[in-house]
Amino acid sequence: MSDRFDSLFGQALAILFALGLGALVILTVDESPVRVFVTLLNGAFGSPERIAGTLLQTTPILICGIAACISFRGGLFNIGIEGQLFMGGFWATWVGFSFNLPPALHLLLAMAAAVIAGMAWIAIPAFFRARYKTNEVVSTILANYVAILFTSYLTINWFKRSGGQSETPPIFESAYLPELFSFSRLNWGLIIGLVLAIGVYLFFTRTARGYAVSEMGANPKFAEYGGIDIKKQTFLVLIASGAVGGLAGGVEALGVHHRFMEGFAPGFGFDGVIAALLANGNPIGTIFTALFFGALRSGSLLLEVDTTASREIITVIQALIILAVSAQITIRRKASDSTAGERRWKF
Amino acid sequence: MPLAIELKSITKRFGAFVANEDVNLAVESGKIHAIIGENGAGKTTLMNVLFGLLQPDEGEIWIDGEKKNLPNPAAAIAAGIGMVHQHFKLVPSLTVAENVFLGMEIRKGGLIDHAAQIRRTAELSRQFGLQVDPTERVGLLSVGIEQRIEILKVLARGARIIILDEPTAVLTPQESRELFQTLRGFVAQGMTVIFISHHLEEVMEVSDNVSVLRLGKNVATRPTAELTKSDLVQLMVGRLVSFDRLPRVASVGKTVLEVEDLWARDDRRLPALRGVSFGVRAGEIVGIAGVAGNGQTELAEVLSGLRPSSHGSIQLNGRTITGASAREIRAAGVGHVPGDRLVRGVDRNASISMNLLMGRQDQSPWSKHGIINRAYLLEQTQALIKRFDIRARGPESTAKSLSGGNIQKIVLAREFTGDADCLLIDQPTRGVDIGAQESIHGEIMRQRDAGKAILLISVQLDELIRLADRILVMFGGTIMGEIPGDRVDEEEIGMLMAGVVPEAHSNTVGAA
Amino acid sequence: MEVLERLLNISLVVATIRTTAPILLVALGGSFTTKAGIFNIGLEGQMLVGAFFAVIGTIATGSPWLGVLCGVAAALTLALIFALLVVSFKANEVVVGLALNILAGGLTVSLMKAIFGTRGSIFGHGLVGLPALRLPNVKDFGWFGQIISGYTPLVYAAFLFVPVLILFYNRTRLGLYIRVVGEKPEAAEALGISITRIRYVSSLLCGLLAGLAGAHLALGYTTMFTENMSSGRGFMAVAILIFSNGDPLKILLGCLLFGFSDALSLRLQTLGISSYLVLAVPYLVALIALFALSYRSRPRVIQETLASMGRALSVKSNTIQPAAATDASKP
Repeated sequence: MSDRFDSLFGQALAILFALGLGALVILTVDESPVRVFVTLLNGAFGSPERIAGTLLQTTPILICGIAACISFRGGLFNIGIEGQLFMGGFWATWVGFSFNLPPALHLLLAMAAAVIAGMAWIAIPAFFRARYKTNEVVSTILANYVAILFTSYLTINWFKRSGGQSETPPIFESAYLPELFSFSRLNWGLIIGLVLAIGVYLFFTRTARGYAVSEMGANPKFAEYGGIDIKKQTFLVLIASGAVGGLAGGVEALGVHHRFMEGFAPGFGFDGVIAALLANGNPIGTIFTALFFGALRSGSLLLEVDTTASREIITVIQALIILAVSAQITIRRKASDSTAGERRWKF
Repeated sequence: MPLAIELKSITKRFGAFVANEDVNLAVESGKIHAIIGENGAGKTTLMNVLFGLLQPDEGEIWIDGEKKNLPNPAAAIAAGIGMVHQHFKLVPSLTVAENVFLGMEIRKGGLIDHAAQIRRTAELSRQFGLQVDPTERVGLLSVGIEQRIEILKVLARGARIIILDEPTAVLTPQESRELFQTLRGFVAQGMTVIFISHHLEEVMEVSDNVSVLRLGKNVATRPTAELTKSDLVQLMVGRLVSFDRLPRVASVGKTVLEVEDLWARDDRRLPALRGVSFGVRAGEIVGIAGVAGNGQTELAEVLSGLRPSSHGSIQLNGRTITGASAREIRAAGVGHVPGDRLVRGVDRNASISMNLLMGRQDQSPWSKHGIINRAYLLEQTQALIKRFDIRARGPESTAKSLSGGNIQKIVLAREFTGDADCLLIDQPTRGVDIGAQESIHGEIMRQRDAGKAILLISVQLDELIRLADRILVMFGGTIMGEIPGDRVDEEEIGMLMAGVVPEAHSNTVGAA
Repeated sequence: MEVLERLLNISLVVATIRTTAPILLVALGGSFTTKAGIFNIGLEGQMLVGAFFAVIGTIATGSPWLGVLCGVAAALTLALIFALLVVSFKANEVVVGLALNILAGGLTVSLMKAIFGTRGSIFGHGLVGLPALRLPNVKDFGWFGQIISGYTPLVYAAFLFVPVLILFYNRTRLGLYIRVVGEKPEAAEALGISITRIRYVSSLLCGLLAGLAGAHLALGYTTMFTENMSSGRGFMAVAILIFSNGDPLKILLGCLLFGFSDALSLRLQTLGISSYLVLAVPYLVALIALFALSYRSRPRVIQETLASMGRALSVKSNTIQPAAATDASKP
């Protein structure tokens, strides 16, 4: 217990330190830190609409964060969630506008398309990581760029809405993810995210397979000794992570935008990764860190209206927080660990 | 004879453990002086003191008749001492010459002068008869040549007293013979060699004088010519170990584990097992004796499916399990207590119950329909904590919060309570306190009496004598001979461990 | 044929050299950390702050050279934070590298907004780029002269760094120690070489070149700063570092491959191929190279095994023969 308390206390101290540094950065851009923080709070929680807006931003960060948690638990780094989100978003939209199906079925198929797209997008990096230990950090990051450009290409060259800007036609209403309240676009995606967080948490703490994945992340040699097939499980963990990343894109497309366009969901994948890092790979913790980052994002919308600071200042604060707690984050793999023998990292 | 080195009353303690106690050692100049003793007798500690890596708690070091203070290896090097460690510290991508001069590069105009380094290396190589190609990359060379490079490193630093820590452990017999020739060349040039070993044969062959360490003390220093092999064994082991063999009734059943002509490679991809054959029957403990690094660990790893074999067959209850995965072998009924328990045996950050679950998480009643049965796990954990006397606050204590002995009990509790027919037990009491040793030994005997086939690997001879029904002695990846557990002849086993088949007893080397 | 001629000519070579230079600079920077055994995913961020502060410095002082200095100083600051967290505090390399990249992205945009009140790009404001160097008498060399003349100074610097680094790793003590620390830290320790100090030095040398790469991007390659203008070059550099193992010559080859695919893809655009697909080409090349080379490294492991087995099994002949052979070769 005291271990856990110490680490929570250290974490809190580090976040305060990072916020202090953030205040310094805000001072250098000639703004009052107090005003920025108050504006952020007001923008995030100032009214029911704003709270709903915060939760709307939280949703994709949460789902992406869970995707990241799955890979972190297995000792792997899926940094390509952004790309899986774009692919998931696009293909969910494609199913959404290409077919006209009964409501529940249509939604289900569109979501399935998102999940499959996410899995497909990580399949090759996952295969090479499992089989040949090819560094998945670099391969999934590079795949992000390709995914974003490729979905833009598909949108503009093949499916552009006539008369519209760089966007696809809207999806049929039968594929909409239903909204929760009348006054906001906040939708069932949040519920999906929460259920998923709890589900993944239970998976890791209660199931045999979840136990095997956790031990692979914690001590691969112990897992190997216990009879766990490391290669196969590495592949499956990354695929599962990609599936959830794709789902995040589906939720965003079917619940919020109802279409796909360029710059569809900027940075949610990366926010998810850092939310999961901050929660140290714990899906329940990720609910709170995602909420924190969702509030920052949502608050930052008001920031540009009310102050001279840009909304990217919140990115700076996020990065500072991660740096401040980085020495305490115990994600159990150095990139160099995946090499065989004593040589430096080399794949 | 002038003395190259004189150690006076050296004592070195690590906490409560006394590694060297009041050791006096005189090494004559221009001689090969062997230091021999069992594992843990304090040989390496003593040499580390002499090389400035450790500071003695008491005592004096005299070199060439002068009292010296050696706060670090640099001081020892300056005093003319060089040490060739057991584990080489060479950089594979650099050339031989670059490795020899690493840390003392020859430079010209600020740049490393490769030509000069190669020239100097070639000169040293010629002068001391250590054949190497200075321009070759070390990563491509064999272990024997790597050792020559380590020796050249020491010579390049001007050493006149050379310490070799178990230099033959990694060498083939041929390479060892060459090394001995080189060492004789050194003393012919007036240098002094200190040679650490526990291979009797070698010590007899190469050394002029020999000192025997036992339990941290120097029990004898004599000219080698005055001693026989059996004298040395006697000195090393002291009085016959109290063979408090645990009582037993013979109840040997059918053969459970059958190994035939097994070959495998080590991590360096060199042959570690060279045609090992033996069988283990139900209700017997077969001990594997041998100096560490003679293939025992690789044997356990191959048998448990963690290391591929390159040739041969393994049968369990008549079924071939050669090449099966670790999972399949577990399922077939093999339990494994690994030698490196902190790396392989447990997840240090996980709780006792989570450590007990490993390997059986998919089996009922530990889990049902993929869901871990937490109530059962907790109940079992509590029962096992009690039965194996694991001293912990509770089932949720992390493994790393426990002592070495209690961590080992977790591993035993897990491996002994499955429905394995065969148990591979590697170094069960290494780093374990006496009290825990006692109960671990008792538990192993209970498993034997319950009809399990047990393969017990240990570098501690007394442990094997206490437990094993038969002892197989391994050397250089082969089984040198077999000795019945109740008629252990110290000398015989010592010789087998040193790679010598004693002529008089060769009839006991049965059908192994 | 006509299409080929339009694609492959001297100006393509020139374009390749231009597009190779920025990634070459940053990859050579990463070579230091790679050789020292550090996985540095933060190159992207170091390059980005290098570009931004090079622009700020140039606008503030009017001199692009002082701008370069500012850019390098900014990248060095990031490199120092990286080293502090990774080397001294033993934080996870991937986490710190990613966080620094995010920090660099956010910081540059925030500062751009604060200083210029705009987002997107900075140009004008008296921003001047580095001058292009016209080598004297290039006309005498014909087409070769066309290829080697007319670039901004950091392009020459990038290519010059290749032999310099080769010399550095092979002939200087620091270069040697960096390699030793990365390859066999226990050997370094045994010789009293400070691993910590060597890793700090490598991180800072890396920051130096990454900063130059950024400065070149903003003052040589273009004369402006754009949001996220490093656009993944830092990550591509990491991919190159993985399969080049940090060797300068292999880095050069890898970077030329990317430079070429970049230059070629820009031309493909003129043939009416979608710019989105064209822009994806370098990333795809990086990915394919990464996968293909990791696949290839497998048989090499097997070959090594066979070779060492062969050596081990032939120890007898091995240990006797060399002595005999050398004896025979003596005059």
